Amino acid sequence: MDLILSAILIFVAFVLIFLGVFIIDIIRAKKHNQKYRFKPMLASFLFLLPAIVLAFFFVVLPIIYSLAYSFTDYNLLKPEQISFNGFDNFVKIFKDIASGGMLSHAIQNTLLFVVLVVPLQIGLALGLALFCNVKVKGNFFFKVCFFTPVVISLTITSYLWLEILSPSETGLLNSFLGLFGVAPQDFINNPKMTIIWIVIISAWQGCGYQMLIFLSALSGIRKDLYEAARLDGCNAWQRFLHVTLPGLRPTLLYITITVFIGACRIMVQPMLMVGYQENSVTLSYLMYYEGYSKHYVGYSAAIALIMTIVIGTITLLQRKFLGGKNNG
Amino acid sequence: MAKNINEIIENDDVVVVKKSNKRAVGHVIYYIFGICLSFAFLFPILYMIATSTKSQERIANDAGTLLMFLPDFSNIGGWLNNYAVIFGDYNVGRYALNSFIYAIIVIILNILINGMAAYAICKLKFPGKKFFNFIIMFLIIVPVETSIIPLYSICKTMLQLRQAASILAIILPQTISIFNIFLFIQFFSSIPKDYEEAARMDGANTIQIFFKVILPLSKPIIATVAVFCFIGVWNDYLWPTMVLNDDSLMPIQAALTTIQSIEGITTGQIMASLVTTSIPIFVVYVLAQKYIVKGFSGGLKL
Repeated sequence: MDLILSAILIFVAFVLIFLGVFIIDIIRAKKHNQKYRFKPMLASFLFLLPAIVLAFFFVVLPIIYSLAYSFTDYNLLKPEQISFNGFDNFVKIFKDIASGGMLSHAIQNTLLFVVLVVPLQIGLALGLALFCNVKVKGNFFFKVCFFTPVVISLTITSYLWLEILSPSETGLLNSFLGLFGVAPQDFINNPKMTIIWIVIISAWQGCGYQMLIFLSALSGIRKDLYEAARLDGCNAWQRFLHVTLPGLRPTLLYITITVFIGACRIMVQPMLMVGYQENSVTLSYLMYYEGYSKHYVGYSAAIALIMTIVIGTITLLQRKFLGGKNNG
Repeated sequence: MAKNINEIIENDDVVVVKKSNKRAVGHVIYYIFGICLSFAFLFPILYMIATSTKSQERIANDAGTLLMFLPDFSNIGGWLNNYAVIFGDYNVGRYALNSFIYAIIVIILNILINGMAAYAICKLKFPGKKFFNFIIMFLIIVPVETSIIPLYSICKTMLQLRQAASILAIILPQTISIFNIFLFIQFFSSIPKDYEEAARMDGANTIQIFFKVILPLSKPIIATVAVFCFIGVWNDYLWPTMVLNDDSLMPIQAALTTIQSIEGITTGQIMASLVTTSIPIFVVYVLAQKYIVKGFSGGLKL
């Protein structure tokens, strides 16, 4: 009941803010001798109404609650016992990190994943884009092949690779390694390799999409720049370094940020392939598990808040340092 | 590897004409390299499709040979055996139908709700417009994933998650998409004002103008949004598993988890269910290629 009451209060607050903006706009219009006519005004509010109501309940309210819950001990099973507990959740987070619990594993795994997958995926995508950019008959076929893994969902990829990496003798990788006399192994559950495999799978699945973006950027680089570089005696590598790479800079920035944010959110693959284990847990997964399976919404929301702040800051820094003058 | 690519690029650039046989060699290297790369990207999918046609013994037989990537040609009549089992015994058809129904409802509502909102923000004059523009720009930046648990608690409280209500919990949050509003605004702003003015001269009101003038002009963007909605709903996994507790209402991605853990299911049957789940997405991508690319480039302009 508290939830509904607070939702109504927040809604009223929003309506008041909007009324304020509304009146200011009308007064401002009057000063400039303009007038809002009633009928189009009514029509536009009718048009906006469904979107406003839905956006309020399913987009704005969750964000506000996520913020508010992080300072409470809200438990999904005992919603009526909610009370503010100040910074207790954040203190608990730092204690958990210090004591080397699940949270510190989650941070390590997520960091390892991000550090490996961002360069790998972007490098692969750039390589494939350069490869497909060569004007040769039939390279549309290659493009389609590289893009195909993007199409299938995370769920399918996870279950598919689970079979490929299956510990049984007939699993794809084990049967292949068996040809060289290697004994069957349990690849994905090997604690040291779990994240590495998820990196490989994610890069395999994701890079086709970034390849397409790189390709459209490559087609935008002026051809005469290459000719000029060639006349100046640059070899292929130098042309790549001094013409292609600067031309790709804004795209590279955009892709780095999106891949980085996507990588920070990694969750479904470890969840479906390994489960809640020390070697597989990631930050998003821990957040989901604490909130949904263990019902500690307050703690989960505090982690979400910290994650959002960290990701936002790093994104801004990336924009600043990678952006350079090309991204004005 | 990198050196190879660069050589090929050098061979292929138009300005310097090189000896043609050197060029042919370059092409052959290019194709061989390309086919190897393509195989590296496609082998899991080939394996999935091939395995879905095989019996358990056949899979064991083929293990470690190239036959892993080929369907069982000695038993062409039995290719669909696994599919018959998953559709007959494990209700895959029912789950797929659920997904289709959810997708269609979400597509219709999403286009109407977000299109109308975008039209008002883009074309109509009302006080507080700048405020809305600001909110949209703000909301598009905030990541959605971090608020999934509060969203769950809201849906749980408001809708109580009984059977009928849990369908609403699946559909409603997907009908609003700030990103789609953004796409619609971009498109609507390219429609000249003349169309609306002409219709207004003829005595049409705003609602008529939206449905009879603007929407018919917006077919490309409607197609793009519809395709994205379909892919989004069809591929959604986490949210349905959270809000649904009735197995018969599960969309197909969420049902995969159930199917995966059925006692005594064979690898071939798992693969068959994965193939069944991917087919509609493949079809959509092939049919709607051009709209998907449009949507991607729309997102890029952010």
